Amino acid sequence: MPAVKLYGNLRRAASAAQVVIAGDTVGAVLQALCADNAALAAAIFDGAQLRAHLRVLVNGHDIELAQGLDTRVNAQDQIAIFPPIAGGG
Amino acid sequence: MHGWMGKILDIDLTHRRVTTRALDMDIARLFLGGRGLGARLLWDEVGAKVEPLAPENVLIFAVGPLTATGYQTSNRFTVSTKSPLTGTILDANSGGYWGMQFKRAGYDALIVRGRADTPVYIEIKPDGVTIHNAQHLWGQRVRATTQMLGQNNHKRNVLCIGPAGENLSRIAAIMNDGARALARGGPGAVMGSKNLKAIVVEGKERPEILDQELFKFMLYETRKLLRASPLTSQALPEFGTAVLINIVNAIGALPTRNFQQSQFENAEAISGETLAEKYLVKNTACWACPIACTRISKTDKVEGEGPEFETTWAFGAQCGIDDLAAIIEANALCNDLGFDTISAGSTMACAMELAERGLLDSDLRFGRADLLAPTLEAMAARRGLGDDLAEGSARLAKKYGAPELSMSVKGLEMPAYDPRGMQGQGLLYATSNRGACHMRGNMLSLEVLGLPKLIDRFQVQGKSAFVVLHQNSAAVIDSLVLCKFTNLAVAEEYFARALTAVTGVPYTTGDLIRVGERVWNLERLYNLREGFTRADDTLPPRVLNEAVQDGPSKGWVSHLQPMLQEYYRVRGWDENGVPTSGKLKELGLDCL
Repeated sequence: MPAVKLYGNLRRAASAAQVVIAGDTVGAVLQALCADNAALAAAIFDGAQLRAHLRVLVNGHDIELAQGLDTRVNAQDQIAIFPPIAGGG
Repeated sequence: MHGWMGKILDIDLTHRRVTTRALDMDIARLFLGGRGLGARLLWDEVGAKVEPLAPENVLIFAVGPLTATGYQTSNRFTVSTKSPLTGTILDANSGGYWGMQFKRAGYDALIVRGRADTPVYIEIKPDGVTIHNAQHLWGQRVRATTQMLGQNNHKRNVLCIGPAGENLSRIAAIMNDGARALARGGPGAVMGSKNLKAIVVEGKERPEILDQELFKFMLYETRKLLRASPLTSQALPEFGTAVLINIVNAIGALPTRNFQQSQFENAEAISGETLAEKYLVKNTACWACPIACTRISKTDKVEGEGPEFETTWAFGAQCGIDDLAAIIEANALCNDLGFDTISAGSTMACAMELAERGLLDSDLRFGRADLLAPTLEAMAARRGLGDDLAEGSARLAKKYGAPELSMSVKGLEMPAYDPRGMQGQGLLYATSNRGACHMRGNMLSLEVLGLPKLIDRFQVQGKSAFVVLHQNSAAVIDSLVLCKFTNLAVAEEYFARALTAVTGVPYTTGDLIRVGERVWNLERLYNLREGFTRADDTLPPRVLNEAVQDGPSKGWVSHLQPMLQEYYRVRGWDENGVPTSGKLKELGLDCL
């Protein structure tokens, strides 16, 4: 099953830094991740879409430049979810 | 006079002469203040034959027309000089309180020239300017100096150098308000070369604001935007800049062990999340800043500001070190000795690689957290090998026969983004007028964070237009002088309207971007006058020729040349990177 790594304040909402969840697309995995956690769902989703400024990577590549939530994943893949972050100083 | 104070303070340390002259308002309107004003004054003051550590070089401290008005983040100021590290034009900027206080002393800029015959400090107060003996301060560290001179955030603010600047380290910073740094390019060494230990300011004047109602409205609108953005209201206050460690590592662009790898296996241990969990005491803010991104962290040995993302990377992944407490302590020591943390960490990483390859006789090795503090102490004192490291990585690597191991551009150490995994960032480093820099525009927003829209970080064609836009925008924000983090939530249009309200001079967004372009081109002209050429717009051989071995950036090198050709075209420069006469006329620079 794909591993999901959470960062920033998403860890607090999920009470974990990493979870393993079944699913064959990013969208399916994230829906399963949020199924029993309304706070986490609110932090990740805005309706059916990802929240603005949230970044989701599969093996280090942003899904916005792939097929978005329809991006396919397999058991060896690593999904990383970053809340809105900024900086550079 | 609205916005600007209309005066430049000029102090000649050789002759101990203090004069004041009027600010040329034509120049002020074209270059605003801060970095732009500093570059324009430096063009006239310091020509091509001046050695950076000679008395003929000057330090120009400058604020902008919005400084001290209370507009959000209007606390920043700049120092401009010829860099002893790179030989290029240099400006560095800093936040805190000193800039606001200096503006309230009634000036837009301070030029310090010459060299005192013994150590001195300058005191600028409402009743006059005094040059004092500083023999008792010479040798003192930054924190002690700041306390001894009576730092009081809202009344009296201290800017000084530490031992690194006194001993002319080319990577020495100028520090203000205790732990803030005008860091890059070695301005601390220029101050040390003048025997100038500190500048203390007390002010009581207020910049006049022409249209109070419009200004209040702009304050309200800006505050609303900063509160509404999850970036400025949540992300930066909660985790600070170090939160970037994990995402930059995840995409395979976190330079590791002197750019030998682009992912650090123990990034989590030095991340913003770990900093917040284990070491964060509280966060704090600069004057008039509602964002409050500054971390106050604490270990068993130290408590103080930082570390920021770049520092965490420089002493962490870049040195192969995963001991966050040691990194926090190295940051605190750099602040106290007066070092640029990026250059200090990256120079140490360069030394570690030289030693591992048998080119340097030293115990320094990647991962040796225990050697960070003693090496910094030796660098500040110029003791033993520290004397070589105090010169920065380019001179160090050249001396030990491997110049290609300095991860620098024009002699300035590259920040925490690997150009092989962020192609636009590589172009930005190569073309930055002060050497490799992420604050002359940063492609992180577009290439990684999707702000405002994600673009392919591996894309080469078409990148230059984005780089030019970001560079021009950064140049004008540095000239206003504001914090670039405001720009995450607040567009340039708001800065233009606030500036118009304060000064009465009608500025549009386009006018501001044009100011940025003017500043960029003037800086380019300065470097051309110094003898820099297209050949200097390059990157270290490692990122041009050695492909990333693993991770999401595997197989990539920087494809600089096609981007550079396109960049010159977009800039309106010829194929050698020289601004055309048409471009200079368009920008009002044809008279130079």
